[in-house]
Amino acid sequence: MPQRIQVDVKEIESVLNDILSTKFPPVARCRLLSSGFSPGHALNITENIAGHKECIGCGNCIDICPVLAREPHRRDKTEQRTSMALESLVGEDCDLCYACSLVCPQVDTTIKHYIVNCRLVEVMSRLEQRIGDDQEPDLDLFLEEAIDAY
Amino acid sequence: MDFEIPEDLKMVQSLVRDFVHDQLRPLERDILGRAAGLKDAREYLTPETEEKLMKMATDIGLWGLSVPEELGGMGLSILGNCLAEEELAQTIIPFTFGDVTPILFECNAEQKERYFLPHFRRQRQAYIALLEPQDGTGLPNMQTRAVRANSDYVISGRKMSFSRAMDDYFAVVFASTGSEGEGVTCFLVDKDTPGFTVTGGEEVVGWRTQIKAPLSLTFADCKVPAQSVLGQPGEAFQLGKKWLPARRLVRGARCVGVGQRLLEEAKAHVESWQSFGQHLSKRTDVESALADIAVSIHACRLVVHEAAWKADRTMNIRREAAMVKLFATQMLRTVADRMSHVFNGPPYVGGLPMQRLCSDALATTTADLALELQSSIIAGDIMKGLKV
Repeated sequence: MPQRIQVDVKEIESVLNDILSTKFPPVARCRLLSSGFSPGHALNITENIAGHKECIGCGNCIDICPVLAREPHRRDKTEQRTSMALESLVGEDCDLCYACSLVCPQVDTTIKHYIVNCRLVEVMSRLEQRIGDDQEPDLDLFLEEAIDAY
Repeated sequence: MDFEIPEDLKMVQSLVRDFVHDQLRPLERDILGRAAGLKDAREYLTPETEEKLMKMATDIGLWGLSVPEELGGMGLSILGNCLAEEELAQTIIPFTFGDVTPILFECNAEQKERYFLPHFRRQRQAYIALLEPQDGTGLPNMQTRAVRANSDYVISGRKMSFSRAMDDYFAVVFASTGSEGEGVTCFLVDKDTPGFTVTGGEEVVGWRTQIKAPLSLTFADCKVPAQSVLGQPGEAFQLGKKWLPARRLVRGARCVGVGQRLLEEAKAHVESWQSFGQHLSKRTDVESALADIAVSIHACRLVVHEAAWKADRTMNIRREAAMVKLFATQMLRTVADRMSHVFNGPPYVGGLPMQRLCSDALATTTADLALELQSSIIAGDIMKGLKV
């Protein structure tokens, strides 16, 4: 959906890195750094919105966010599915997995390429540490005890 | 590499095998119901029969195999437990050798006398109240809360329990004592505590024995003293840490036992049936199904035994336990599928041992979501660069 000529990451690299290093869902700010709607958008409206950078409320970022997947009760606070809602629901608990930015249709592909090529490597090692933490209790074992009770 | 089972464990295995064969299997027809339509099928044995079996198991030293010696059990090794459970799983009779959830191994001296020992002797039942009707298995969002009031706690909420109903009981209740679902505490709540009620759990007979309805436990401002906290407040999920991972291996062994019994049933079927003048055992598709079953069982048994061997050497078996659960479930599904090839139709026919064996065994592995968790534990270790 973004413009054919998209933002050059070299020009925004410094601010983009700041955004991606801040513990807060980065999708909205990545969207604002992007080029906005292309004239060939698929929305059924007559108004010329080429270049506009609003969130379209598709909810992709809400659906993909691992924080909300782990703690679904956070979603009870609002029914909105915008990037602003994501920011309110997740806030500083963000995992910085960048999944929200990667699924947003309004974020430029150039920014997404930058995230994948330059940022995800360090994200992976951090997220990896979260997997299989031996000290974390395995709740599934308690479920098995409850279900298998004689 | 020594694949030989130690002599002492072989003796236990043989003892359990004889017990299952001589005492439990003859009771299967009582449980399944002799009449057509399953109208006299039962969910559990009669109390008299159970008492007789319990006494017999105690006399031959099989009661409390999995319970540590300091708590009055036999303190058998994990491998020994796996061998015993494999044999015990080869019957549909709902009988255990004094199996007690390791969560209760954490009882202090007073709680041991009041709760653990009566439960171990089957005089009092422990209702494990972990799951909640509104949230299913959503443990992090536990709605049942316990609020501190001076030296007491006040518990409010609803729970469901799959434990067997008995006249005398206590509940092992998991309730949230912190904010936002953090800090879960485990309480031991007596039967007659004001505000604690239990519904459901009537004895089920007939075809309805196939349906396991949970007990419904309600706590309406139920006040319990601080002494009823099991372990430390806010650390319910740290309970039984030493023993719980190994329970996954024992359940894996149970799957192996079920598979073994199914293979036995398949063998008896193909030996006794003919079609187009030929024994079923001569048909290539049946041969292939039998071979698949046998290979799956053998592979699963090796996975279980290796993990149990490691557990007995106090090695970390987190990944091995995950592998056992994942593989044992898949193995059992394969075996159930191949059974349908052998029987030329689904083995889930009510009133046959296969049906109960398959459904009971698969129920213990909960759902596919749980299997995904096992996969992520294994994958996590691969990501860390550990050799698999």
